Amino acid sequence: MTAEATVPRLPFALRTATARRAPKRPMDEAKFEIFYRKTAGRIWTYIYRMTGNAATADDLLQKTFFRFLRTRPEIANDDHLRHYVFKTATNLVFDHFREERRHRIDALDAVPEAAFRPQHSELRHDMMRTFAELKPQERALLWLAHVEGCSHDEIADALGVQSKSVRVMLFRARRHLGDLLTRKGLAP
Amino acid sequence: MSDLERDPLEVKVDEWMQQFARIDDRPRTLPDPSTLWVRAKLMQSAVAAERANRPITNAQIGAYLIVAAGWAAVLMWKWQALAAWLRSFTPAHIVLGAAGAEAAASLSISLVLVLIVLASVTVMLAFYTVLAEE
Repeated sequence: MTAEATVPRLPFALRTATARRAPKRPMDEAKFEIFYRKTAGRIWTYIYRMTGNAATADDLLQKTFFRFLRTRPEIANDDHLRHYVFKTATNLVFDHFREERRHRIDALDAVPEAAFRPQHSELRHDMMRTFAELKPQERALLWLAHVEGCSHDEIADALGVQSKSVRVMLFRARRHLGDLLTRKGLAP
Repeated sequence: MSDLERDPLEVKVDEWMQQFARIDDRPRTLPDPSTLWVRAKLMQSAVAAERANRPITNAQIGAYLIVAAGWAAVLMWKWQALAAWLRSFTPAHIVLGAAGAEAAASLSISLVLVLIVLASVTVMLAFYTVLAEE
């Protein structure tokens, strides 16, 4: 067990400060492979749930890691690196939506297409469709908060918003999703 | 905080999100990390090469501008002399004989030298551009 694993989960600001103080060494291929195997699946799922398109998720996953490697990452803290990758993925997803809008394609319409694939069960389709009805920012907020367990500070950093706004934005996103679930009779 | 103390909406959304997250729709194979690593390194090399070439590219652009400005200046200031000299090569002047020779003689040595230098630099620059692109 590494020393990092024994350290309890610190608040984001403290974790960032710890990461800055920790001795840094450049990431080599072996370290990258370990980090990639730990994070790539989660990042792919996040992008896929945000965009609803597996091909787009593949593409954006690669772009995310290219961008990550371009910054010549240094190993200080895995949490910090993971957070950085999520932030990069979020930016790329929002860029993708902007690009789609520019080409007059409704990004949300892409979701049911992917969800209608025969291997998708009806429940999965309903869930994907419901999630797609949220705004992209709401999707990112809910996923980062409820699935990735990110703090408000981390979410604010990833979405480029003020930390104090996250609580309100998260409340609105929950209410929006709650309304959709009630209307569709999908509430657990 | 237990679920009882939490906002019911938060609990409902959290449960749904957990259920949603459990759906496994990941591809069987994610891109290979070694391939990503190599491609990222190649991209970094390409970016570094481009950065190293930037001063050369800037010098090239500067040379194009200087040569263009030189030609523009010579043509503007000595246009009448050059036009007269060029007219001396028209068939009418050649047939009439001596008039062409007078016009050609009117070009000063310094102007001829400037024209030779500018033409040489232009040809060298063109060769360099073609060879660099190849």
